[in-house]
Amino acid sequence: MKKALVIVLVALMAFSAFASPVAEVKEEGPLKFSMYYSDNATLPFKESWLAVQEATKSVNAEIQWEIIPIADYSTKVSLALNTQTNAPDVILYQTTTGENASLALNGAIVPISDYSEWTPCWNAMVEKYGMEDDVELLKLQDGKRYYLPSLTDVPFYDGGLILREDFLKAEGFDAPKTFDDLYAILKAYKAKHPESYPLTVLAGPRVLYRMTMPSFGLSIGKNGSGGSRVLSWNYDEMKYFPAAISEEFKAYLAFFGKLYAEGLLDPEMAEPIDGSIWSRKMATGAAIATWAYYDQIGGVTAASTIEGFKLQMYPALAGPAGAHHQQKNRTGSGIMFPAATAKRADFEQIVRAVDKMFFSEENSKLWCIGVEGTTYTMDGDKIVYADNIKKAAEGIYKYMQLEYGCGSDVTQMVWVNAREMTKYDENYAQINKAVEAMGNVIQYIPPTPKFDDMEAEEAAMLMTPLADKLEVWCNAFLTGKKSLDKDWNAYVAEMKGLQIEKYCDLYNTNL
Amino acid sequence: MKVKDTSTSSKIMNVIIYTVMVLSLLACLLPFVYMLALSLSTPQAIIQRKVSFWPVGWDTQAYRQIFTYPNFFRAYGNTLFYTIFGTFIALVMTILFAYPLSKTCLRGHKALTKMVVISMYFAGGMIPNYLLVSALNLTGTRLAMLIPFAINQFNLIILVNFFKALPIEIEEAALIDGLGYFRILPRIILPLSTAAIATIGLYYAVFFWNDWFNGLIYLNTRQYPVMLFLRNIVNGTMVLGNSSSASTDTASLSISVKSAVIITSTLPIIILYPFLQKYFVKGLTVGSIKG
Repeated sequence: MKKALVIVLVALMAFSAFASPVAEVKEEGPLKFSMYYSDNATLPFKESWLAVQEATKSVNAEIQWEIIPIADYSTKVSLALNTQTNAPDVILYQTTTGENASLALNGAIVPISDYSEWTPCWNAMVEKYGMEDDVELLKLQDGKRYYLPSLTDVPFYDGGLILREDFLKAEGFDAPKTFDDLYAILKAYKAKHPESYPLTVLAGPRVLYRMTMPSFGLSIGKNGSGGSRVLSWNYDEMKYFPAAISEEFKAYLAFFGKLYAEGLLDPEMAEPIDGSIWSRKMATGAAIATWAYYDQIGGVTAASTIEGFKLQMYPALAGPAGAHHQQKNRTGSGIMFPAATAKRADFEQIVRAVDKMFFSEENSKLWCIGVEGTTYTMDGDKIVYADNIKKAAEGIYKYMQLEYGCGSDVTQMVWVNAREMTKYDENYAQINKAVEAMGNVIQYIPPTPKFDDMEAEEAAMLMTPLADKLEVWCNAFLTGKKSLDKDWNAYVAEMKGLQIEKYCDLYNTNL
Repeated sequence: MKVKDTSTSSKIMNVIIYTVMVLSLLACLLPFVYMLALSLSTPQAIIQRKVSFWPVGWDTQAYRQIFTYPNFFRAYGNTLFYTIFGTFIALVMTILFAYPLSKTCLRGHKALTKMVVISMYFAGGMIPNYLLVSALNLTGTRLAMLIPFAINQFNLIILVNFFKALPIEIEEAALIDGLGYFRILPRIILPLSTAAIATIGLYYAVFFWNDWFNGLIYLNTRQYPVMLFLRNIVNGTMVLGNSSSASTDTASLSISVKSAVIITSTLPIIILYPFLQKYFVKGLTVGSIKG
């Protein structure tokens, strides 16, 4: 018995050695603080990355990085902000949409706009790119902004319609400009390969919806811009309208329903098609077209054994509302400070250090292209990348991410289109130029209504059944289980019964 | 003497039983074999759908890739630590609670049992639990993975019932021979309960091995278990479609990498089963009252 007791006590003593709480911040020496980082398995964080090391050194800081898997990032952040215990000093990759807005209004997040004299680098970048109006939109109901958003001078056309160019050339098709052009191409491919479903979908229909709906004048569903799920923004009248019951949506369903009915659209589209399965479909010729991202072309091409296989990304197709792509803002996810950080004696130093680390002229360049003399040299105004980077099989962009930590969404806060294009091939730059020349292809994301807690609760209660019903009916219309001619009125009546119009009013009265 | 039943109906029954058993075995085994084959095949072969139950191309790149992931081995070590010490603590605590609870003569026995059953059905919820663990200064420490889960009510009830089923005469004999309860438990009761202890030990080990959520909410990066790592890799591409402002960073991990991670993180706990199986059988036959 004694022996057993001794073993238990020794074991407990051993565990207590591991029970050291989070390191306390010391006052002297380098500035010490902790930071949440959203980690993606495709780009696992390394503290040894050149960009991380150099940026940290530039502010003489010692950062305790908390690397949290992206799939669980929101849970961890939510817990930290809700409880304010075991919270980090700084949280990356955040906005004040959804729960964060309510947390901010209830005092869980530092209103960083109150401390603008401590963020001179961010202020300078906003001024440099003329983004005063953009950041103004991020203020909440109390007129305060609660995070330092990332800044983009001109949004990129980083994804879109990807098609087999070799098939287009072989069959004498021009590059598609409208959805009808695409229909003709898909039809021709189906005729040659009856077993195929020419248009497949990446990661469920969400990518397809968010990239194609804007050309029909709407943006709804799980990834709809604005986050209302069933409403869209009327860019002429500058207000929301109930897009889920609109004629625009009916036209959208009619087009994709036709593709489905004729075997041109992948019947697995409702499932979340995993990246690997999607690659297989594209690489083997089971599909010829998809909406996806430019940097995915290389992987699919490498895996294909089809002779002459060549994928190309095309500018946005014109629909009834013109040629538009997924809406984007010039501001993106950024940096947030939990309320507990403001209680630290060195709060000002932390804010100043974070500001310099991510938004200063030198460091914004560092997070994008690395260190001059190591990753690149300047030939006049031209950036020339080091040989090992230029020759990398993954391409400059991906290699710089993996090897140096440059170009990560989480840490790069200033995105300059022209500078970014130096990391891609000439083809990508040309597509972006073509898209830019087309005019207003990438529209801004509609403003988020400034709800108070009660209104946010009411909006959420109205949204849930509406969004669920939309998903069910949308699938039914696309797959032909419900007829647009016969059942559309019943659907509209059901959505009206769920108070879609009241929901829309709630949005419009709180802009 | 064993008499072999050679009747036709018995033979048919045997064929049915063996068929069902073989099919069950295949249903469990084949996905694992398939996963193993995928993890050792080239991405091209996988995309071309050439892989079935044997690797095509014999490529160990997936394993090399995951072994170079920062934190993989640390996370693996953390999981081993949580599983070994978590199971040990849980067994000690469960046994120490179950034994007195198996004595119906114990004062307060009913109240304690009710407390166990009620807390089994009605948990506090995530935020209250988090606040409790935090108030105990356990967040950010490895003990947060061990102490709050030291007693699982379901396992406790299994053990209580097992102890209750042991013949009271054995304990009475030991008491007459001069042993106290604190010596009866390790010397008499535990050797007779290896089957039950092995069973709940396995339950605990599997729980600690698989637990990722508690690690996520209570721990810091350096203390994360490997299952959190596995979840990140397997779900890494699933979050792709969730962002309305999805960026250019949308490269997906190959199936071979996902398979390799699943193999490396599940194999050790699967290997445990055959080792513990003998205790299940042995435990049932040990112990009897001798004249």
